[in-house]
Amino acid sequence: MKEIRVDFDKCTGCRHCETACSLQHIEDSVNPNLSRIRVYIDMEKDIHIPILAGPYTDAKCTSRYPIIMGGKEYENCILCRAACPAREIFFEPGTEIPLKCDLCGEPPDPACVKWCIHGALTLVELEEDKEDS
Amino acid sequence: MYGWMGKILRVDLTEHSYEIEDLDEDLARDYIGGRGLATKILYDEIDPAIDAFDPDNKLIFATGPLTGTGAVGSSRFVVVTKSPLGNIGNGNAGGYFGPEMKYAGYDIIIFEGKSSEPIYLWIDDDQIEFRPADDLWGKTVHETEDQIKSLLEIEDPWKRKRIHIASIGPAGENLVKVAAIIVDKHNAAARGGIGAVMGSKNLKAVAIRGSKSIPIADPKGFREAVNAVMDKAKVSPFATQAFPINGSAGILHIYNEVGMLATRNYQTGVFEGAENIDGSMITKGYLIRNRACFSCPMACGGITQVKEGPFKGRAERPDFETVWVFGADCGNDNLEAILKANKGMDTISVGNIIAAAMEMYEKGYITDKDVGFSLKFGDAEAMVKLVEMTAYRKGFGDVIAEGGYHMTHKYGHPELFVGVKKLENPAYDPRACQGIGLNLATAARGACHNKGYTMISEILADAVKIFPKYDPFVTEGKAQLTKGLQDETCIFDNAGICLFLLVTLWTKEVLQQLEPATGAGYTMESIRLAGERTWNIERLFNLKAGLTGKDDNLPKRLLEEPLPEGPGKGHVNKLHEMLPEYYQLRGWDKDGVPTQEKLKELGLD
Repeated sequence: MKEIRVDFDKCTGCRHCETACSLQHIEDSVNPNLSRIRVYIDMEKDIHIPILAGPYTDAKCTSRYPIIMGGKEYENCILCRAACPAREIFFEPGTEIPLKCDLCGEPPDPACVKWCIHGALTLVELEEDKEDS
Repeated sequence: MYGWMGKILRVDLTEHSYEIEDLDEDLARDYIGGRGLATKILYDEIDPAIDAFDPDNKLIFATGPLTGTGAVGSSRFVVVTKSPLGNIGNGNAGGYFGPEMKYAGYDIIIFEGKSSEPIYLWIDDDQIEFRPADDLWGKTVHETEDQIKSLLEIEDPWKRKRIHIASIGPAGENLVKVAAIIVDKHNAAARGGIGAVMGSKNLKAVAIRGSKSIPIADPKGFREAVNAVMDKAKVSPFATQAFPINGSAGILHIYNEVGMLATRNYQTGVFEGAENIDGSMITKGYLIRNRACFSCPMACGGITQVKEGPFKGRAERPDFETVWVFGADCGNDNLEAILKANKGMDTISVGNIIAAAMEMYEKGYITDKDVGFSLKFGDAEAMVKLVEMTAYRKGFGDVIAEGGYHMTHKYGHPELFVGVKKLENPAYDPRACQGIGLNLATAARGACHNKGYTMISEILADAVKIFPKYDPFVTEGKAQLTKGLQDETCIFDNAGICLFLLVTLWTKEVLQQLEPATGAGYTMESIRLAGERTWNIERLFNLKAGLTGKDDNLPKRLLEEPLPEGPGKGHVNKLHEMLPEYYQLRGWDKDGVPTQEKLKELGLD
């Protein structure tokens, strides 16, 4: 199985992945609000974080503790991939249908990976699968 | 319509009311959008001769049909207005504000009239609110953005981050004629004093958020076109390495080597401290991380930090022009001072005026009594202090705030003003590169390199490999080169694509993406014509504003004083060898007025 690996440090915040995803899924138009990948940009903390839409959850979580990675502190809610009632992302505006990444696009690369010029997004084989084969 | 949202938001600041109008489809197609379309609207709706701060002047924010679509480099929106300098004013900016205008449903926002008290506008799709800005007045752009985001009381962190803001700082409020409009804290629509026009309308900021979709005519064709252009960008050393790593200032050493890095108010074209201020030195010592505008592979922006000392602070990574002006032009090789001076105004103009003041000081035309302190070339501390004083019109800053033309005339030395149509010159010394002189002399907003960047052929042709190569020292063929680049640059500005991408792609690639996005039937010929139409409507605006062919000129220094050293030693710019041919190619008469035939050809009669 394959997954999209995200390298925060390589992300420049251009959000090209958002337009790539929305063009792939909604066909006749572009709208980052309908994208299954969104980039969180905080210029004060110097972070650009692409987040891929994960599973839907029908309840808000209670674990709002911060997460520390590479010496930087991240809000839990920013790193979470769920379509969750606490926030607007990963729901289609209007219909409120939850959105989820489906590794779309023309093989070998998903649409977002293809337009990510600086390599923040890469498609990789899951580690456990490699060991099996 | 596809690509365009098809709507204009017309805001009456006097009455605090607004209307949403349909975009004229034919007009949009004829001008593509952005700079050209906004200029046409301004030309039709105001008397170009009015004062910039007259409430009848209008301030127009305009996107292009590619803005926000994901086309490569599609971050741009442009601000068009009558400039306080007396001619057409325009400046465009990247970041994310332009795309968000489209998602909110508007191609264009027109601000009319003048609010009786400071306000900011909150646009959330179709919901538009006029909010008091009394508490924001006097605040910097950074403070303004933070405060607006907290005033809007949005808890969801993702939602909050999706609000994009265009605002002015104290310089705009104080009607400083070099004031910029800043978007997303770090991107500037800067030249021609457009921030002062926003200030004159008591409009502190515009905050916007949108949830709408931009319709695309041929989605599959558009995706394939963007794929193809991205493939080109992926193999371009400029897009993948030079600009993302060292920013646009990474090419500073090149311009020094060819002897056209204007130094000490254009007294020479070679700066002995150039290697200390090159973009690579910023990356080495101060860059925290790089940063891209919307849909851009180049990531020439970034965040820099000076950790200690008198110039301590965080700022946007300065672009080439900013490094040049606070570096070479002010005779300063203290990089930390350059990072500190990069604040919220038209850096080219502020720095250029300070450089002229430094020359006046060294020649004894102004003294400590005028300035309040000594002001020699290379005095980093004085330079940084003056930038701050200009924004607040404090002391000598009040003189700088009126512009270089005004300052040099005030003290009786207009020969020290290096500018065209009252707008201060950028970095490139046209004595060592003939074509750029013609462009600087003829650009409608004044001395602007980004209206026809002839260096792409005269200096960078071998490195970029897209444009034909020209010898920088000859005048032959330069009229044609300049006209072509000027018209084609309009295509970028009108479509919503960042001109910096010219090191990677050109109009063929814009068309490749523009046609599937809009389905408007564009061809190379029709977009070139749209570019030429844009150039001519700006010309008509300037003529009605009272400018004439005599304003297509360069400062005396560049025409008469030969460069004293470097590869350009002994050369001057031979503008008057090129100008008559240029007028002829443009279809303008000998006074620089478009002929009836030309206007008819462009549908402007």
